[in-house]
Amino acid sequence: MSTTSSESLKSNGAFLGRRIARADGVAKVTGRADYALEHDLADIVHAVIVESIVPSGRIGKIDLAAAQTIPGVLRILTHADALPLKSCPMVPAGSVMESFLPLQDDRIRYNGQPIALVVADSFDHAIEAAGGVRVDYQAEPAVADIDDPTARPIDVPGAPSSGMGRGDAKGALAAAAVRMEATYTTPREYSCPMEPLGTIAAWGTDGDLTVWMPSQWAEGARRAFSEWFAIPMEKVRVISPFVGGGFGVKVTAHADALLAAMAAREMRRPVKLALSRPQNFTGNGLRPAIRQNLTLGASEDGKLQVIIHENTSETSVDDDYVEGGAATARVMYAVPNLSSSQKLVRVNSFTPSWKRAPGEAIGAYALESAMDELAYKLKLDPIELRLRNYASQDPESAKPWSTRRLREAYDAGARAFGWERRSPEPRSMRDGHELIGWGMAGGAFPNVHTPGEARVTIAADGSVDVASSGADIGGGTYTILAQTAADALGVPFEQVRVRLGDTSLPRAPVAGVSQIANLLTGAVDKTARAAREELLTLASSHAGSPFKAKRANDFTIKDGKIAPTDGSAEAVMISEFMRMVGRDRIEVTRNTMPADKASSESEQRDAYDSFKYMGPSSATHATYAWCAQFVEVRVDEDYGTVRVRRMVGAFDCGRLYNPKLAESQWKGGMIMGMGEALLEAIHIDRRYARITNNNLAEYVVPVNADVPDIEVISVGEPDFHASALGGKTVGEIGVVGAAAAIANAVFHATGKRVRDLPITMEKLM
Amino acid sequence: MAKSAIADAGIRLCINGSEHLLQIEPRVTLLDALREYAHLFGTKKGCDQGQCGACTVHVDGRRVLACLTLASQVEGLAITTIEGLAVNGSLHAVQEAFIRHDAFQCGYCTSGQIMSAVACINEGRTGSDTSIREYMSGNLCRCGAYPHIVAAVRDAAQAMDLGEGRGR
Repeated sequence: MSTTSSESLKSNGAFLGRRIARADGVAKVTGRADYALEHDLADIVHAVIVESIVPSGRIGKIDLAAAQTIPGVLRILTHADALPLKSCPMVPAGSVMESFLPLQDDRIRYNGQPIALVVADSFDHAIEAAGGVRVDYQAEPAVADIDDPTARPIDVPGAPSSGMGRGDAKGALAAAAVRMEATYTTPREYSCPMEPLGTIAAWGTDGDLTVWMPSQWAEGARRAFSEWFAIPMEKVRVISPFVGGGFGVKVTAHADALLAAMAAREMRRPVKLALSRPQNFTGNGLRPAIRQNLTLGASEDGKLQVIIHENTSETSVDDDYVEGGAATARVMYAVPNLSSSQKLVRVNSFTPSWKRAPGEAIGAYALESAMDELAYKLKLDPIELRLRNYASQDPESAKPWSTRRLREAYDAGARAFGWERRSPEPRSMRDGHELIGWGMAGGAFPNVHTPGEARVTIAADGSVDVASSGADIGGGTYTILAQTAADALGVPFEQVRVRLGDTSLPRAPVAGVSQIANLLTGAVDKTARAAREELLTLASSHAGSPFKAKRANDFTIKDGKIAPTDGSAEAVMISEFMRMVGRDRIEVTRNTMPADKASSESEQRDAYDSFKYMGPSSATHATYAWCAQFVEVRVDEDYGTVRVRRMVGAFDCGRLYNPKLAESQWKGGMIMGMGEALLEAIHIDRRYARITNNNLAEYVVPVNADVPDIEVISVGEPDFHASALGGKTVGEIGVVGAAAAIANAVFHATGKRVRDLPITMEKLM
Repeated sequence: MAKSAIADAGIRLCINGSEHLLQIEPRVTLLDALREYAHLFGTKKGCDQGQCGACTVHVDGRRVLACLTLASQVEGLAITTIEGLAVNGSLHAVQEAFIRHDAFQCGYCTSGQIMSAVACINEGRTGSDTSIREYMSGNLCRCGAYPHIVAAVRDAAQAMDLGEGRGR
């Protein structure tokens, strides 16, 4: 039974906080939602990427003769004749966006790198011709992965090699009565959204570029095209109303988008470029392999004295992508001494990118596994150990928490799960030949904020249009923005139409770091309230108004009708009122920039198309979402197969704008965490640094039969330090802690601690 | 532009009760025929390798993977896609149940899930949640809507049993 404390709050309006079905539900169940590759353009041609089959070296000769004989082939682009491009420096150090530009030189950096682009009149002709492109390589030695004997850890360029921390970690460790040290390893993982990457690009005769692509950040993609092709931002339009899953890989534009636009320019025709599923593995969407060495020091009564967290993660040849696992350890517990450090290993791979809860997902796996190990060492219940180290303020910044209902999450989760019936000894619970394991773990996810813009239009018929370029990647942006506008304006939910994912609309930053719901509800609420004020100013002052009241706040709007609060006149429908005052629309645009920057165009641009304005949501308080997750696994004693029998997650995500949709995201996150714990890993053929399981049958993700009933519980309360309307982050916290809870349950079942994900059967034999 | 010599052979497909004469080569899959030639984009391409289920459609009432079916194999057979499930704007019981249970997030696997679910119900595989999970496991959902998909299929199966839906 799910409980949602926000439903009982007085702050709820008629729609926000309610379990309303998705506004885009009908479009999605009828197949009418138009994803990127689903647009018919006259004269369109198809492009297919040819990839390198060696991981390092130079391109020698490319023989196109055979490919060019295929009927329908129009053009084959290679580095020899491709359009020179400018780099796009919008995101530093390769964070989420690779600096690599395809077809610019003869150097090969990774196996799978685009080295030619075939354009043909049909998809089948392009595919056939791509298979006929013959390439001579001058192969050079490559570093295949983090375990390659030639791999060398290096300091993160530009970062202090000593890492970050507080107190005296070394001294505290020497003095600690109890010590626990372990190394946790996680493999390369993939976001694997169900919609592969792909792009349609079309250039107008006036040099305008229009791009249909799945994007978590249309403004960011627009900036990338503008930089790559050295054209003004105003000349680029990116359209992405529906995104078939992102999970990080669609945060920025990648090579497919660039190559589609390049080919369209060359061909002077619209180009459709659909990456194959294997190309989605060999080109984009990677969480790098990571080693985390964790050392905990504690007193005999279980008070943590020190955490030392050393991370080493893969990055590419070109960029310094950091998958930092240490963020969770820095805030989770009241530990006075802490040091965290980061090293990188350059491998012949494309640049990694975010995968849902980058850093936190794998960081919480290691930390919460180590806490479980320490609990056994101290013979303490894992929840009791956590409570003994409960942080009453942010141990990193010493700021107060805005809200931290983690204790309530432990309590509610444990109660729902029946934790008190757990027998603490490993291998002490069984059902026939199945070993039963119960494990738990906690998690944190920071609340980040970036300003955004919104436009709200009240039409003559009383309907309301809400517009933003921000994305709905499945979280429910369409729905909660309609709820927000309906509440702010006093109109029915069904009367509000929301348009998203188009750079011709008001600008928004990235739908990532779980920020889009909070920042856009804030922007829409502010804008809709301004529109309401304009409407009521007409009610109180316009000659055509039927009302006698003279102040805007003498009115209420409810169910789409305006009425004087004192009941001195009949309520009037907004549509009727618009006619009376002779208005065909009221249109208001607002942004949520800091007041002193709100009117600066250059500052606004930085806010929406870079990460400059992304930061903590409060200057005075530490704002995080929190969770506690509980898992039961059954392990076949003979075969080592692990099945998850049930999961319970208790979440403090502040106020929930729509519990129905928030619960879906939590459960989805927990299921992705299950994949990380038990199933997902990239395998690499060391000889060629090539991904061998580059498909959805061999890169194993959870299927329906893997997933048990999942119970989620909200213990949050509104947090107005976290966001304008009181919500905290929802989208990623479900992943955080799930893998550790499963790993801890597997240990409880079997007595075997597997510190290398995924926990597959051979590791338990 | 060079025109393929074999591209001239037309294929007649009966999609959602309407006949489509498509100028396609024999190697074109049903999935590409639907999307690229009949311009019916409701059927999704998730892998093109028969691994994800996003392209599930019905051929003579049976669920098939459109990416592993050549268009020429199904000439003359009744093809039903997600666009053909609602009748006169009235949603199928499974479509309604998917909305009610929030059985999707991004929506990209949804067409295939729904086509599979309708077939799964008609196959009589919805007797238990375990059975639903098993017979819906050919359809991947990366957003992790599985528990809600199970609830929606269970609910729709009951509604169709009661004659509220319009399952075959």
